[in-house]
Amino acid sequence: MKRLVSMTVNGEEIELAIPPYRTLLDVLRNEGRLTGTKKGCDVGDCGACTVIMDGSPVNSCLVLGIEAEGATIETIEGQHAGPDLPHLIQEKFMDHGGAQCGFCTPGIIMMTKALLKENPNPTESEVRFAIAGNICRCTGYAKIVDAVLAAAEDLRKGRTL
Amino acid sequence: MRPFGFERPETLERAAGIVAAREDRAAPPPLSSAQFIAGGTNMADYMKLGVMRPNLLVDIGRLADPGLRRIAASPDGIRLGALVRMSEAEENADIRIGYPVIAESLQQAASQQIRNMASLGGNILQRTRCEYFRDISWACNKRDPGSGCAAMDGFNRQHAVLGVSDRCIATYHGDFAQALIALDASVETQSPRGGRTMAFSELHRLPGETPHVETQLMADELITLIDIPAKPWARRSHYLKIRDRQSYAFAVASVAVVLDLEDGAVRDVRIALGGLATVPWRAQEAEDELKGGPLDERTAGRAAEAAFAGAMPREHNAFKISLGRQALVRALLETRDMRV
Amino acid sequence: MNEAAPLPKGNMGEPVARIDARLKVTGDARYPADLPVRDVAHAVLVTSPIARGRLTQLHTEAARAVPGVLDIIAAGDVDGELERPQFGNSGSTSIAPLHDRRIWHDGQIVALVVAETFEAASEAAALVRADFQAEEPSSGFGSPGIEIIPAAGASPLYPENPEAGDFDAAWATAEISIDETYSTPTQHHNPMELFSTTASWFDGDVTVNESSQNVTGWKNTLARQLKVDPEHVRVVSPYVGGAFGSRGPMTPRTAIIAHAARRLGRPVRCVVTRKQAYTTQTYRAETRHHIRMGAMKDGRIVAFRHEGWELTSRPDNYVVGGTGTTARMYGYGAVETKVSLVKADRNTPSYMRSPPETPYVYALENAMDEMAVALAMDPVEFRRVNDTMTEPIEGKPFSSRSLMECYDQAAEAFGWNRRTRGIGSMRDGDWLVGMGCATAVYPTNVAPCTARVRLTADGRIRVQSGSHEIGTGIRTVAAQMAAERLGAPFWSVEVEMGDSSLPPAPVSGGSTSTASVCSAVMKACDAIRARLFHAAVTANDGPLSGLAPADLGIADGRIVAGARVEAVANAMERMGVGEIEEYAEFAPEGSSADAIANLYKGKLEMRMGEEGAKVKYAFGAEFVEVRIHRLTRETRVSRLVGAFAAGRIMNPRTARSQLMGGMIWGVGCALHEATEMDRHSARYVNTDLQDYLVPVNADIQDVKVILVEEKDTDVNPAGVKGLGELGNVGTPAAVASAVYHATGKRIRDLPIRIEDLL
Repeated sequence: MKRLVSMTVNGEEIELAIPPYRTLLDVLRNEGRLTGTKKGCDVGDCGACTVIMDGSPVNSCLVLGIEAEGATIETIEGQHAGPDLPHLIQEKFMDHGGAQCGFCTPGIIMMTKALLKENPNPTESEVRFAIAGNICRCTGYAKIVDAVLAAAEDLRKGRTL
Repeated sequence: MRPFGFERPETLERAAGIVAAREDRAAPPPLSSAQFIAGGTNMADYMKLGVMRPNLLVDIGRLADPGLRRIAASPDGIRLGALVRMSEAEENADIRIGYPVIAESLQQAASQQIRNMASLGGNILQRTRCEYFRDISWACNKRDPGSGCAAMDGFNRQHAVLGVSDRCIATYHGDFAQALIALDASVETQSPRGGRTMAFSELHRLPGETPHVETQLMADELITLIDIPAKPWARRSHYLKIRDRQSYAFAVASVAVVLDLEDGAVRDVRIALGGLATVPWRAQEAEDELKGGPLDERTAGRAAEAAFAGAMPREHNAFKISLGRQALVRALLETRDMRV
Repeated sequence: MNEAAPLPKGNMGEPVARIDARLKVTGDARYPADLPVRDVAHAVLVTSPIARGRLTQLHTEAARAVPGVLDIIAAGDVDGELERPQFGNSGSTSIAPLHDRRIWHDGQIVALVVAETFEAASEAAALVRADFQAEEPSSGFGSPGIEIIPAAGASPLYPENPEAGDFDAAWATAEISIDETYSTPTQHHNPMELFSTTASWFDGDVTVNESSQNVTGWKNTLARQLKVDPEHVRVVSPYVGGAFGSRGPMTPRTAIIAHAARRLGRPVRCVVTRKQAYTTQTYRAETRHHIRMGAMKDGRIVAFRHEGWELTSRPDNYVVGGTGTTARMYGYGAVETKVSLVKADRNTPSYMRSPPETPYVYALENAMDEMAVALAMDPVEFRRVNDTMTEPIEGKPFSSRSLMECYDQAAEAFGWNRRTRGIGSMRDGDWLVGMGCATAVYPTNVAPCTARVRLTADGRIRVQSGSHEIGTGIRTVAAQMAAERLGAPFWSVEVEMGDSSLPPAPVSGGSTSTASVCSAVMKACDAIRARLFHAAVTANDGPLSGLAPADLGIADGRIVAGARVEAVANAMERMGVGEIEEYAEFAPEGSSADAIANLYKGKLEMRMGEEGAKVKYAFGAEFVEVRIHRLTRETRVSRLVGAFAAGRIMNPRTARSQLMGGMIWGVGCALHEATEMDRHSARYVNTDLQDYLVPVNADIQDVKVILVEEKDTDVNPAGVKGLGELGNVGTPAAVASAVYHATGKRIRDLPIRIEDLL
């Protein structure tokens, strides 16, 4: 029943035996022990499970683990500037109060990373629409947008993602 | 999720062949025990909900044929491979400039994450968001033929007012399809019986007596290409989506308009309505009303009246008729005022 | 410094970043379903598709045949093992889904499937078939078969309808009157973290990992249901992915999962689907209101009558009861109120962010706006005319009330003077612009609380209190309080919360946490200070020897008296200790003698804002600008400004965050949120986040929060008024007021949707 699937997660190549019905989200959380990626709805409605797959942010709850064969996956656990140093985006989310209960935060940070990679100079409106698929029920939206814009500003000053 | 088999064929012929070899190959595609997946965003959702319970998934997401992933613009038009991701198409410069209605319809659909996964072919075939369809504890003729329709006398605010039958009032919730109707697109398909081409407006079927039969496709037939002709109206084209929140919501009403103006008069116009009908809906009566005359708020209003002459509301969705009319007027005026 | 960290004004603490921000942004904050549990089995609920009737038979053969299925627990399987749940502060309902076969509501639990994997349990649960003897259900207001009873006396939380003076006589004298009805819909909390329970037994002790706003209450409730002594039960909830009241009372699932784990001899985890959470968790009850308000031409209100109707389940009398607040809002003259409960075939509602104020103040503030229009008065001036420092029901003074200060500061920041009065008089191209305002209010409640604080000689501080970090920042402000009282840097403080084995704290509800926890932490810190000061001044050759303890202070790790200082570490060395630990019990003024004992037993003894010699409320003023398209009539909120006064602000950054989140919640309440019913079957329809709409990033534009300086020493020792439930109270009425200004349409029933404005 299980299939052998290999993928690169946060820079590390891994091989896992997974049943075809297990979603990438559940594979990361169970087999991968990477619980920073959250399950908020399991049907693609909330964005809490966002990971970057082959460079694009996706809802990992809508991807079957076996569809990720050969893919490169980035999760929140892989985001840091160095040993024990938070990533630029994480730093800005801390500074700007972008995390309240914190549950939607990993997904939003992954979404932000993908956005800024593609568009390091987004307008406020572009940010709001780019991360519209990530629901925050503490509704910290103003602070989240401030954090993203502050990260973009630092990028323009030469910091890197 | 029910356990299922998983195949990842190399070629289109093989993919179609797998399904064609199954006993229930003649079943309407939604009821087939074998299902194609590309982006998988819809199928994973439906399978978790138990709405679809295939025992074989045929993954076409990695088929080798490069034509399936190509956006090819030419003086004759633009051809979109069925496996092109929604996000790729919305960012394509030829589409943004030459066919803005396509880019606008894609940009306003779903979320960035979903658009990064979902293929154009899959998007066209997305099934309804009717809450009664999505929860298997309700009666639903579309999901379980003959079981009844709980939406008919239930909470039907988001349901269709056009193209309904006494079996089904579920709305077609896609956005891209309206752009394709307006642009007079066609689709090419492949099956073990060969290829065929049909007008996009012919693809979807009204619910009638058989709401579970949603398109003209067979279970083993795949959309391969979307072909959009280069016409004088393609540049002056626009998609207006009205929804309850600003983003990441299905349309309460949407309008795709393509317009060919000459000296302020309408030489040609095509209009499609979304969020209001059971299928991607062409508002031909409204087009006829406008052709040859001036386009202003008054004439647009007359066209809007014509578009909804046959509307059939239920208890909670009568507002969609007035909203649909207003949205049509607004979309026509906004399209008229576009600078192209 | 950035906008997220406003400069503190008077009576405000430092805007330090959250103590747990790092863990939250790195994915290292572990929520209960994230914890790895060895050998855990997975459970999935089977729920009823009918709202009323009896379960006659359950067919489980197909489900049992699914590979990996370990157990199926259904009606009758818990007899003798599990006590029935009780309805109260720690229990959401008395409905005992596996004890009896009666179906009280849609989506009631009828069985639990336990399997080796989540997927196997889900598949098997889908194969369980149930036969019912269905009866015609009543869905709520207007349905045949509902029962309407007076709220007063139906619940200990609502003893009587507040009233004052002779309403009828005053009403007859009014020169201008308003007589209108309003309504608010069913709403669901929808915290981002799915509801889950993980139960593990070891040697007769059970640990339950579940996000909770009330670990101590749940520990006691679970122990009773599981028939074990409370000391054998531990509830752990270190991080909570949003709560908003949904995790206050324990729902029946928790004990069922603990029972399943005991029966199986293995840990069991159940993550409830979002869809099932709509019926197995609680919700905000829909309400109806009838308001009569009479005023004189000069704007003085002389008569106010507020009658409310609220939905609840058949077996449980949950009361929202917001007239306690609305009856005290303004200097009305005569007041009459009445609340009734409408009992239908529904699950039992419960607390949701500002439970009474959201619906009741919405109705009142709408009426205020209507009256201002009827009087041709500016709505801010109308409120000024009726502002009062004495509440009208018992004639008690407010401990502090900065309502008009809030209005003035918010109005200025908003640019209220740029508003032109005429309906539809403000436009931006095809968009009609409207501006409106409303009052926000929330009672200042406080509850008994305990805390343990330890200071070590190296200057580190550990704070322990069984409160809950639900996104509010309680860990952060508790650390700030300890750092301030013990003269230590913020980073030297570590805070443990969310565990029933810690000194108990009250339910994180009623906006009591900051006031209660900070008061207890302060008391423990003061006991530590007393010991340090005593050591510093008693016979020794130290620099502070012989001084009076009252003359000492503490700062930067040193005990200070003017120019004379001694390092804290030196004083401790002389005491011969490496650490000082103090446990403190804080019981608010007016508490019963058993307040702390009751807290340990999980019994809530909250002191409410309207109790005591002075009434205690936090106030705010909210201004909203909306844009409505002239043709298609969708409403967008382009600007929000709120000014709030809430006594001492422990941390302007987390306070702003809470208030801003509240205001945006209010936008959702005004324009989006409603759980829709299928009236024939009494079942919820839009049970996911694509159909139950909450605001997304793109809906929110310009939001400004102003923290108004206020000092109030009467409320509690910490001087703090809770503000977590203040921000969302005024927004819906302010939006309705702005919509009226833009369109001339007065929408009295929430949410305000496109169809209301066409």
